[in-house]
This record gives sequence, structure tokens and C-alpha cells, in this order.
Amino acid sequence: MSLRALWIISHDKGEHVSMRFSRRFPTVEYRAKFLAGTSYQAVPEDSTVLRLLLTELGLVDPHKPYVAQRDDCLTLLEGLQNFLCGSGNKTTDSDGLACRLAAMPSVLQQVCPLGTPLDVPQAGGPFTPAVPAPPGSPRQPAWRTGHHRGRALVNVALTEMVRCMQYGNPSKQDLWDVYGTVTCKCEVEGVLPNVTVSLSLPPNGSPLQDILAHPCVTSLDSSILSASSVDDGDASAFSGPYKFPFCPPLEPFKLCSYTSQVPVPPILGSYQLKEEENQLHVSVSLKLHESVKNTFDYCEAHLPFFNRDQMSSVEVKVSFGHLDVNKEKNLLVWVLGQKFPKSREVTMEGGIRFSGQLPGPVDPLCADLTAYIKLYFKVPDLTLSGCSVDQHSVQVYSNAKPKILTCRELKSKDYFIWNSSGPAPVSSGRMML
Amino acid sequence: MAVSWVERIASFLRSPSKFLSCTTAEVFLVEVLREQRDDRVTYDVKLIMLSPLCEYPTLLCPSACAGEETSLELMSVFSNCPPKHTEFRCQLLLGLTGVLVATSCVSARSHASQDFLELLLRLVQDTYYDPHADASSSPRSVRATACECLRELEACCPGLLSQHLELLNGLRQQENSRHHQALSGLYTLVLRNAVHLLARQTGAGAESLKALLGGNAVSAWEAEPDSVKPIHRDAPLPSVLVPIGAVPTLQTGPECKELRSILSSLLEESYLLTPLAQAALLHGLTEVVAMVSGVSPAIFKAQLLRLLGTSKVCLFHSTLLMKAAFTDSLFSAEDEAFVLKRLVALCQHPLLATADKLFYTDCLLHFPENRPIGGADGEEALPVLLTPRLAAALVPTVFNDTASMLARLKLASLVYLEEEQEHGEDDRVRGGGGGRGLVYLYDHLKLLLHIVEHGDGRDQVVTFFRASFLFLCHFSHMEHYASDLQRRLCALYLQHTRLAPHILNLVDRAQDGPVEPGWAVDLLRSLQGAVVTAGVSPSGLSLTDLHWHLRVLARVAQEGQIGQASTVDFLFAVTSSAVDTAPWSGDWHLGSDSLAVCRQLLTHPGLDALLCPLADVLQHMASHHGDTDIRDHARLYYTLLTTLSQEKLGGVLALRATAAAKEGRQDKKRSLSSIMVESEDLTSALTVHRARMPVFQLVAQDHPGFGRFSEPTQTCDDDSGGPDADVLSAYRSQLHSSSFASQISLLYELRYTDASPPGFDQLFSIHLHFEPTDGHYSELADVCVPCLFRERTSTTPPSSVTLTLNPRAPYPTTLRCSAIFTTQDELTWHSALPDIQVAFHQLFKPLPAPASWAPDLRLRAFEELWDEFCRSGEESGEREDPSPDRAVSLLCSQLGDAELEALVERHFGPYLVADQGDEVGHKVLLFLPPGSHMLLKITPEEDAVQFNMATDNWRLLPHVNSFLRTITDWEQHNAVGS
Repeated sequence: MSLRALWIISHDKGEHVSMRFSRRFPTVEYRAKFLAGTSYQAVPEDSTVLRLLLTELGLVDPHKPYVAQRDDCLTLLEGLQNFLCGSGNKTTDSDGLACRLAAMPSVLQQVCPLGTPLDVPQAGGPFTPAVPAPPGSPRQPAWRTGHHRGRALVNVALTEMVRCMQYGNPSKQDLWDVYGTVTCKCEVEGVLPNVTVSLSLPPNGSPLQDILAHPCVTSLDSSILSASSVDDGDASAFSGPYKFPFCPPLEPFKLCSYTSQVPVPPILGSYQLKEEENQLHVSVSLKLHESVKNTFDYCEAHLPFFNRDQMSSVEVKVSFGHLDVNKEKNLLVWVLGQKFPKSREVTMEGGIRFSGQLPGPVDPLCADLTAYIKLYFKVPDLTLSGCSVDQHSVQVYSNAKPKILTCRELKSKDYFIWNSSGPAPVSSGRMML
Repeated sequence: MAVSWVERIASFLRSPSKFLSCTTAEVFLVEVLREQRDDRVTYDVKLIMLSPLCEYPTLLCPSACAGEETSLELMSVFSNCPPKHTEFRCQLLLGLTGVLVATSCVSARSHASQDFLELLLRLVQDTYYDPHADASSSPRSVRATACECLRELEACCPGLLSQHLELLNGLRQQENSRHHQALSGLYTLVLRNAVHLLARQTGAGAESLKALLGGNAVSAWEAEPDSVKPIHRDAPLPSVLVPIGAVPTLQTGPECKELRSILSSLLEESYLLTPLAQAALLHGLTEVVAMVSGVSPAIFKAQLLRLLGTSKVCLFHSTLLMKAAFTDSLFSAEDEAFVLKRLVALCQHPLLATADKLFYTDCLLHFPENRPIGGADGEEALPVLLTPRLAAALVPTVFNDTASMLARLKLASLVYLEEEQEHGEDDRVRGGGGGRGLVYLYDHLKLLLHIVEHGDGRDQVVTFFRASFLFLCHFSHMEHYASDLQRRLCALYLQHTRLAPHILNLVDRAQDGPVEPGWAVDLLRSLQGAVVTAGVSPSGLSLTDLHWHLRVLARVAQEGQIGQASTVDFLFAVTSSAVDTAPWSGDWHLGSDSLAVCRQLLTHPGLDALLCPLADVLQHMASHHGDTDIRDHARLYYTLLTTLSQEKLGGVLALRATAAAKEGRQDKKRSLSSIMVESEDLTSALTVHRARMPVFQLVAQDHPGFGRFSEPTQTCDDDSGGPDADVLSAYRSQLHSSSFASQISLLYELRYTDASPPGFDQLFSIHLHFEPTDGHYSELADVCVPCLFRERTSTTPPSSVTLTLNPRAPYPTTLRCSAIFTTQDELTWHSALPDIQVAFHQLFKPLPAPASWAPDLRLRAFEELWDEFCRSGEESGEREDPSPDRAVSLLCSQLGDAELEALVERHFGPYLVADQGDEVGHKVLLFLPPGSHMLLKITPEEDAVQFNMATDNWRLLPHVNSFLRTITDWEQHNAVGS
């Protein structure tokens, strides 16, 4: 796989489009000419590329069926994008971007000198030179860009996310699942250090599914990969421990990730929203499941009212916590704080009126009585799957005994409770089964 | 200096063609190479200056010869560059690779490429680590770069390094630093190419493979060049995993221990490579094993779980490639089920990026099955093992992003289509509702429709129509859904008429594509009914609605199967209400829309039945419409309708319909009858298009020798025999007279450029516009050339252009030139031409004395001018104020007598004042409009020729000096040559 040309184009919501960087690879072009034969098309000049791209984006050709990207340039492009824009949706300041763009020629010389990508750019510091090692020493992994010197430390963090769709409707099945990521930072000495991390489940825990491992993991047992979330209920007997032997990169990395099915959602809720003479009547109850530790870093319930006027009067009572209305007056925030009450149950009841001229945000999934509550919470030192990394299960084959730290937490992600008195969208094909 | 170079390089990279239109590639290359050798230029700047060579080597070195010379220069730059400038040295190697490959020097095994290959092999073996190298700025070592360069050379010219296989294997095994990755990659490629070439050779077997790996094969196939199949030997080799043709196989028997052990060692340490390098390595090794019969694919077995468990797309993809190549010799049926399940799980894994998931979804549709059932290679098909139950994890939902949702919809449609076909019979009995999966998909589509009804985002609209098209492609044969969707689309249209283009586009695509043939017509019929029933009432119908209604009806009228009576009634209602009270009365656009419908009706097969009502409509418009233009066109259509038979009418109007069909609805012909109703077409006719590259250029007319012989001098003819007394006064008086035209005429020919884009074969009405780039010349008049044809017959005269310059000061200049012209398809174009350089010698004119002057008078004028110019400053105040611009100068040159004579004749012939029989030497008078003189006395002395100069404009001296140097040099070289 080789690239014929590479462009980096920036735009701000379709405007201020500019080509920030471009690079061509003439030797790849030479090969393309031979391999494509008569169907060869030359790569146009930058200005033309930009123009064509804009035309393509502006073109309304609604009935062209989607043609999936078949090119595995994907990895590099994605890597570059993350490198340039930072991972996630962080907006990068223009200075930082300019600085990274300025470094592009040198970065490309390193990861893609002649059009064939060798690596994705590292966001971290500069590489150290490849110092020749004495004969007989182990081989240095190409992705391990130097050596650690200093105190040995292994940090393993387990973050679990819980997704949920609760409809409160007998015809619609509620759905929830969790997925977790194990992030490591290993500062250990040696050219090819060897570390093993084991994940363990409680005795009755359901197996971890869809495990994805970082490429630095040297071997995987077939039993680890056997459980799958799309399986036809073929429950695997394997319940751990899940061993991951690896040679750690210098930078922090995601060792592995998994999904899991848990028997109950951590917070069970019901939401009823009804139209009543010029106002909406709201009735909510939330109940924390008894198996979940009642200690939160934060817990909030958001009730958006989009595609409507602004809220003019909110006469709503809550049994616990307090209520906020956002500046735009289209979102009700119920702050529950660090703890549920002893009863583990909270309620909200009342009426809301709307008036005013300012149109709020538009969201097709939150119109009329199609409405939801979205929960945001974080519970330290808890996983719903029961998965944990024991400090003593981390093995490091190294001269110096490293300090080992482990931690875990549970966070909500797309945790929806839909209005049971209105229509709600289906979120998964599993509901049909 | 440095800054300007950085800017120049940036401007080159922005648009090389634009940049090179101001200079030539040759000049630019010479400049770049000169700077590379210049010690004063910093290496940072030199690094930037390599970019044009690295990215556009063929532009700067258009020939193999130029590539060869440039490479030799660059290699000498490399050898002179101190080792600490690592980044520059690396870039230089990359640039060299690009130049040598792109100019085909490597495939021709040129000297420079052999030298470069040796240099690279030397660098790769050089394990000396320089602790002083500039490591902070460049992490990449010259050694690793040399490796990559070798890999690229081998990829472009397969077999180039086959003889070095053993050496490379040794290097790879010894290397412990990170560079083992580059060496492994290089070795794998060389091995793969060598095996590939060997496999194509008849009679090659285990022995030849062993010899190859041992490095003592003098390129096995080079020994018997005839046995190589007639392929381009140095052409890059295509992947053998691409499903085209049979894989070339090397019959080795089970005896390939050496190869097996090499493959094992490469695979064992593959996890030490970065994922991308690992994927490339695995690809190469998969190809090798696919081609060598003696190695079992089971050699990959130990890697599979690691690869399948990874979070990296490229590694998973490698396993799919292996599966495609080896099917059940590597993957059991159980393995296959596992891989598929894994793939489905990856398609919806919450921790993967959308792009990755889209890629995996696509892999599902191209899943390499162990036993594929039917389906041409590369076509999308559903894997047998993908059951509806498994696929339920991938049904589309409104929570997906657009691309994922559509990809999932396509997949789910295929799954449920299969399910419907299996249960089709029971279903028809039940009443056509379909299975639960299909019901779900249709509910999903309705949800998208609901979103469109309540929102106005372009994305949502486009998504809905794309989804509808996908749904129809699979399920339009199911009456229940097909008709329900029609009903809903009609309702949607009436609610949001602005969606008409989307709906009509859906109709067009449905007619092109795999949707049931009648569906689109049925939808159009329903739309017609909806529009007509809604009726025309000025209060309830906005102008925009009406506009879209008419667009829809025009499309409906294209369908011969649909009756048009109601359409004509509707038109009558529109046109008659238009003249009365409606807000659209007299509106040109609306009139044009109505005429568009009429025009379609004129070609409708059911026209006979519509004759009277349609004539009424047209007549009404022709007499009552508020816009003259509309009235005229309505009258034209009315006349056509009432005087022509239907066949003839069809003939006149259908011309462009057939053209449109051929061109895929984008016709280029515009006939009079449709010019106003097809307003989109009109846009291209009225726009001036911009040509990206110069189509033609002005070439100075050929003439012998270096100089240009001027046209006959424009002089004032006066009848007098000439002044007796004061020659100069007489001369000057005519110089200042108004009839004296101090102009310069230059003769050019208009020719196509060598790289002129195709399609401009016949050009008409070429209007040339010139712009001076400095203040030394007045504005130039535009020049018109009637036509220019690419195919020139012997009788076609060349298209000559005479350029008349009005100088304010006689200095060389550059003229910008552009042209507006028409092509044979009646489009108007604007194009820039290469700049025109006006050289100093092109400004020369002879003494502009009256024609009646005898040679001796001219000589007198010369002598008096000479004296006057030489006198200046010494005897001031004698007659008039001496001009401070006067000056004298002397230039000497080594020229023989014969050379001098040749030079004078060649360059100064028309400007000689007189040949002195008795005197040795020549007197030359150059007049430079508007009023400067340059006088030359050329005399051969003992060892050199003296050019004595006197002028009334000292600013000309540098130009004269440079001109004289050029012509004397030229003459000297020419003498040597002859």
C-alpha cells in the first residue's frame, strides 16, 4: 500500500477552506502508471484538487449508493488526523496546528519517506537515535523509540463505560451494556522488557467479549477471544483470568478493550412527559441499584426540551438534589451530587411552561413527546462487569522491582431514559429478537 | 536571498505550471542546483529547495539525460555535505531516488543509477554510529533512509537487488537496533520480487530458488533472457493476491528448507515491527507462500490469533488477505465462522472509530469465503454464514452517523432480501407484509422521513433519499412497500415542494438502476395527480410552489405512458390566472417554466389528443403574457404546433432529447427552440471558461542568424535632396515631426503549445491582449486572429501576429499575454499565454533619416553625432546644453578577422553606416526608439577587436555590453565548431 499524494485541508464548517500541506510521491506515481496501464489518471495540481474536492462536497447527488472506502490508507490518514487535531474532538489552537504543520516534512521523512507508510506519527517527543546495541542483546521493537531510565513504575487504569436505553414500555425491550478499556503506562528498563497484566472476573461474572488487544501484546490465548457480543447466546465457559503478555511502548497506551453484558443497569429510571393545558407535566423517578456503590464523583440528569420555545416557568419539585436551568433555557439539569439518599430512590414532579421567541437547538430525536433524560455519572473504584486488575497479578520481568499502581472507575455514556408516554427511536437490532 | 528562495519554492509547489510559465524548467533546475553547491546557503534552505526535485522530478528533468546529469550533480552535493546534516542528507537520497526512478534511469541501468545503487548499498552496510549527528532535528538516520530508497528502487524495478539477497539477509539478522524493521521490509520485497520473477520463468524449480537465496545466482533469469515471458521486465509487479488471473507458481517439491527457515524467522519477529510495516511484511510473505508450492500456508498459523485479536485495522486486513489466498488450507470451517463473527463484532465495537467500522462493514460484503458460491470476483455479496440473527447486530438505527447508517442499511437489505426470497411464497399468501427484518427496515425509513418532514437539514434530506434509493433497489418488487413509499413521497412533496429536485433525481436514478421498471412512472403519475388536484389558487399557492409544480409536470410530460390532459388543464389555469390577478402575472421565470412543460408536451406521443387545449394555452400566452420574451416563444411553439406534422415536430424538438440521452442528460448542443427553457445549459454558454494551461503561444518568426533584421525603416520622405549645411539640424527636425512613428514592430506566429490540453482543435475569434510589465512601454493595442486549427494543411498560412510596441525608453522587457477565444462547441475561453520576452537587439533600428539621403549624408550624420556625444562634458556651453546622459565606452574582444566580418554581417548589416574603402573597421548606428542613439566604431587592433561606443543614453551601456559579449562569445564558439 502506497500513497500517491497527500493533502491536508482545513476548513471551518465548510468555509475558509485552505490547503495547509501537500506532498507528492513521484516514485509511487511511476509505479501507478505501470500498474494502472491505460486507466492511469495523473494527480491534478493542488488548486485543482481543492476545487474538485469542494465541488464534490457541494454536489447534491443524493442517490448514489454509498461506496465504502476500500483503501487501507485509512490507518495512516486516521493517524495523521489524530496527530494534527489531537485525539477526540478537541479543537486545536491555530498556533499548535501551525507548529505541527511545520513539522510535517520532517515527520513524513520519518514515517512515509517515499509514499509507503511505515508508521503513524507519534504525538510525543522526538525519537531518540537508534544506538547500536552490543551483539547478543535482544532486538529493539521498531515502535519502542528509546529506553526508560529511572524509577520503574507500572500504572494500570481500568475505565468502564455503561450505555443504556430505557423505554419503560412493555413493547420495547430496555437495553444496556458496558465496555471497558485498560490503559497502561509502563516505565521499565531494558531493550525488550516483558510485562504481563491479568484481568480477573468475580466467580459468577459473565465473560468479557469482543476483546481487542494492542499490537504490542505478544501472544493471545484462543479462549480470550472466544466470547463475542454477537454470539447466539453461546456462553463461553471461560471466565478468566485474561492474561496479556506484552512489551510496553514508552508512551501510555490502551492495552486492551472489551464489552460485557451485565444483568441490571446501575440506575433504573422512569420518565413521563405529558401535554397538559399549555404546559408539560413531568414525572421522573430514578433508583440506584442495590449492587452499586453509593459514592459518586458526580451524578446529573439532563432533561433537554429542544425544538420548542424557551422555558418560561419551571414549577418542578425534586425529592433530592437541586435543579438548574441552562442559559438558553432549553435544558433542565438535575444535580444529584455525590450520593443518592438512603432509600436509593429520587423523584421529580411538576409542570413546565414555554414562551418566548428565541428558537432553541434543533434535534430530530427530541421533538414533541419524543423526549429523554440523559444521565451523567462517574463512580470511582467500580466496574459493573466486576472486572479488575489485581496489583499482585501484574508481573514485570525486570531487574528493578517496579512500583505498581492500579485503579478502576465506571462512567456513563449515552445513558438514556426515554419518555414512556411518547414515541421513542429503536437503538439496536437486538430489540427485534 | 534565503527568504526569497523559500517563497519561490512555495510558489512553485502551489502551482508548478503557473510557476514555470514565468521561467523555464531548465533555468529553474540550473538555479536550484547552483544554490545546492553554494556554501553560503544554509542547509535548512537547501533542504527546502530539494522539494521541487523530490515532488516533481519529471517536470524539472523531462528527459533521461537531464535526470542522469541532475543525479550526478546531487550525488556530488551528497559527498560534499558534512555528515551532521542528517535530515538534508536523507532528503537528498529521497530526491535522488525520485529523479532516477521517474526519469527511467534506473530501469535503463544508467551509470548514475549504478553509482547511486552502490552508494546506497554502502550506506546500508555502514553501521558506524555518529554521536555528533544532528539527532535532535532528525530522528531518521541516513542508513534507514538508504534502506527505504533501496526498497523503492526494487519496487519500481523488480529484480534490481536479487543478487544481493544473501547480503541483505545477513544484515537483517545482525541488526538489533530499530533499523531491523527497514531491513526486514527491504529483504521481504526483494525476496517476493525474486520469487515472482522466478515463478514466471519456465523450468525454474527448487534448485534455482536455492541458488537465489544463496546469492550465487547471477540473476537466474538473466542467464537465459529468452525464457522470460514477454513482459516489460522492469515494470513494477502487481500483487498476486489481486483476483485477476492465475497466481504464478514455482514448483519446488517439498525441498525448500532454506526458504522455510527464512520465512519462519521473519514471522517470529514480526511483532517487533510497527503495525503498518508488519502488514506490508505479511502481505509480501503471503504472496511468497502463495507462489511457492513447497511451503505450507500453515507457517502463518502461529500468528493468526495475535493478528485477529488486534485493534489495528491493517493487521486484521492482513489476515483477511491470507484467508483469501489460502482458504481452507489455512482456515478450517470453524476458523471461518470465528473470523466472520469477529468481523461482525468489530463492525459495531463501541471502542472503534467510525472509519474503522465502515471499513469492516465493507469487508463483510467482500468476505473471502472458503467456498464462495457464485458471484464474480470483487462483487459485493453476502457471506453464507452471515445469518439474519448475526446480522441483527448491524441493523441501521437513527443513532448511527450517516455513512454507517447507509452502509448498515445496504447490508441489512441484502440479508432480509435473502430472507424474503426464502420465505417468499408464504409471504405472498400472508399479504406481502414481509418478515420482521423487512418491517424493521421500513419503519426505520419512515423514521428518517419523519425527521425530514420536521427538519430542514440538507444532510438529513440527502440521507433520507439515499436510504430510500437503497431500499427501493432491494425491495421495489414488493408491492406493499413500493406503493406505500410512493404515497409518502407524494405527501412529502406537497408539504415541502423544495424537495422536488431530490424526488426527480430519485425518479431518474430509479429508472437508470435496479429498481422495478414501473415504479418511477407510477411515482410520477402520483405526483401529477397530487399537483393537479391541489389546483391553482393564487391565495393558497406561492410562486415557489408553482415553480416546482411546473418542474415536476415537465418531468412527468417526458413519460409517454402518462396521460397529459390534466397537465394541460393545469397549465391553462396557470396561464389564464397569470394574466389576471395572480401575483405571478407577467413573471418571466414562471412563463419559462410553463413553456418548458409545453415543450415536453409537444413531443409527447399522445399529442393528437392534446392539440386543441395545448394550442389554447400557447395562444393565450402568446397574446396575453406580460413578458415579451415569453410571448415570442409561445408564438414560436404555437406556430410549430399548428403548422408541423407530429413527425416533423418530433424531428425538430427531439434532436436534443436524443443528444441528451447519449450524453447522460448533459447535452452540449443548444438549439434555438430550447434555449430559454433550459436555463442551466445557458449558464455554460454565457460563462467565460478558464483554461488551466496555455493552449497556444506566440513564437518569434524564424530568421537566420542571431539578430533580427528589422522591417524597412519608417522614415519621412521629403523631396529635398538633403540639407547641405547642418545635417544634424535637418535630421533632428524630422525626428521631432509628428509624422515620425517611433514604433517597433515584432513579427510572431501563433502556435499550439506542445502540452496544450486536448479538445481545443479549432479555435475562432482569438482576441489577444498584452500588458507591459514595466513603465517603459505604452499600453499595447489588442490583436485579433480569426482562427487557429490544430490540424494544419499545407495550404493553411501560418497565423501571423504583428506586435507594435511604443517604447517610452528602449530597454528589454517582458509582456504578459492572455487570450479570449471561442471553441468549436461555441464556448468562450480565457487562457494565459507564456510571457513574451522582448530582447534588447529586437529594439534596434537603422538611422531614421529620409530615404533620399545619400550614404555620405548618413556618414556625416554619424560623424557629427559621434563628435557631439564624445564632446559632451568637455566643451560645454558651445551650442546647446550637453545632455548629461551622453557617454562613451570601449569593449575589447578576441576575434579573428573572419569572425569579425561574420559578426558584423550577421548582427549589424542593416545598421552599417558606410563601408570605408580606405579605412579598416565598421561604423554602426543603432537607433533605439523613441530617440536614443548608440554609435559603434568597430576596429580590429593587433590582438583584439575594439568596440568603441558613443551614446546619448548611458543607461543603454549595460545592455549593449551584454549584447556584444553574447554575440562575440557566440561567434567564437561558432568558429571553433566550424
